[in-house]
Amino acid sequence: MFVSILQQGDFLIASIHAALDDSELMRFQKDVMAEIANHRAKGVIIDVAALDVLDSFGSWSLRNLVHMARLRGATTVIVGIQPEVAFSIVELGMELDVTTALDLENGLEYLESVTTGHRAGKSMLGVLGSHDT
Amino acid sequence: MISPGDVGGDPLTEEIVELTGLLRRVVGRRVRDREAVDDIVQETLARLLAARTRLDGRAIGPYAIVTARNLVKSQWQRADVGKRHEHRLADTRDPVRPDEPLLEQEEAEAIRIALDRLAPRERDVLVAHVVEGRDTGSLADDLASTPGAVAAQLGRSRAKLRVEYILALEGEPPTRQCRPVLLSLSAGDRRRQGELDAGYHLLDCDFCASMSEPLFDRRAKATADEVRIPVTVDADVVVARQRGREVAVQAGFSATEATVIATAISEISRNIVRFARRGEVTVTILTDDGASGVLVVAQDAGPGIPDIDLALQEGHTTYGGLGLGLPGSRRLMDEFEISSEVGRGTTVTMTKWHRR
Repeated sequence: MFVSILQQGDFLIASIHAALDDSELMRFQKDVMAEIANHRAKGVIIDVAALDVLDSFGSWSLRNLVHMARLRGATTVIVGIQPEVAFSIVELGMELDVTTALDLENGLEYLESVTTGHRAGKSMLGVLGSHDT
Repeated sequence: MISPGDVGGDPLTEEIVELTGLLRRVVGRRVRDREAVDDIVQETLARLLAARTRLDGRAIGPYAIVTARNLVKSQWQRADVGKRHEHRLADTRDPVRPDEPLLEQEEAEAIRIALDRLAPRERDVLVAHVVEGRDTGSLADDLASTPGAVAAQLGRSRAKLRVEYILALEGEPPTRQCRPVLLSLSAGDRRRQGELDAGYHLLDCDFCASMSEPLFDRRAKATADEVRIPVTVDADVVVARQRGREVAVQAGFSATEATVIATAISEISRNIVRFARRGEVTVTILTDDGASGVLVVAQDAGPGIPDIDLALQEGHTTYGGLGLGLPGSRRLMDEFEISSEVGRGTTVTMTKWHRR
């Protein structure tokens, strides 16, 4: 499988290591939801740095995953969107409407800040360019 | 076997038969194989019986032993000679498989049928060139033509022969369209392929899709700046966009632009998987007056789109997605054209030009 889901304290780090097709993306979605329950995770980082393309289906399934995870009580942040991919998403005219961070490190910082009672929330927003919360 | 009961009466014969035990011991000491011992003993007895009129009673014992020894010796010699000459008997050729002659016969028959289907003139020229080894120059003199024209004719004849050979082996094609399409593919005749809409026919016709593979290969090699990706399952979408990205980079696009092109390819390939049984994405490098670009053609033999305007409308979705597939691709590319016929299929043609 081209994905890994690892536990890091209260958080899960789900990484995609190669281009995924639609059915693999759906399976990834299901696996992450199952792991959230297994580990009682409060936050999830989804690392998409290795995704070559985020087209309408990819964005749609990621957005759904973030919404579903939120309903299960886990805050999710997407990290590692490549500049080219970001450009394509904007060109395609999509509103990804999820919290994002530059990389894994920033993603972890963000999750720590929101799960410990929004202490650093305000200052983080500017740094991370988040449009969630 | 000679046993006492068979030759009863004659006292000399009985005496010979009684020697069996002695002979068995004599031979047994020299030969290990029990069956060979039996054979030699029998042979000795047969010779003694044949010679019994010339023997007197006292000579029988020694005579029998000498005969047996000689037989053993000659058997050794035979075995030795056999061993030394064994290599001469080895057949180094592969054994003929039982189905081989049948297959050969079928092939020969297929070639004969294929040759029969060529026009007599075509056949004569082809045979003269290939079998009799005549060059195009001398053939051109005979036919009052030029060597170039003869070579072109030979090329067409070979293309036709390939198609007819395959059809002779596989059976007649299901539609009237099949033969001309296969011929145009075999000949690599792009103009004719375009006239016949060969690409569509290959998507629509299972027979030709499987038949054309040996003919396809030649064509694929002919152009390096074009890739053709058959699309039927989810994984093909990823292959199509990855190959498309490679072509875009080859055409001089930046990583960002190549990703935009790959995204558009991903969208339209997904539509093939989702709505059509089988389709094909072709990515070609374009050059025009110093500008370069890529042309992406996605063709399928699916159900077609009843209302193209609706399909191009943003947010219109058939599976609950974002409804951005077609309108998004249109936005990503410079030129976008879609043609669709209900019950026949859909073709999306898009182009992106490289901005310098």
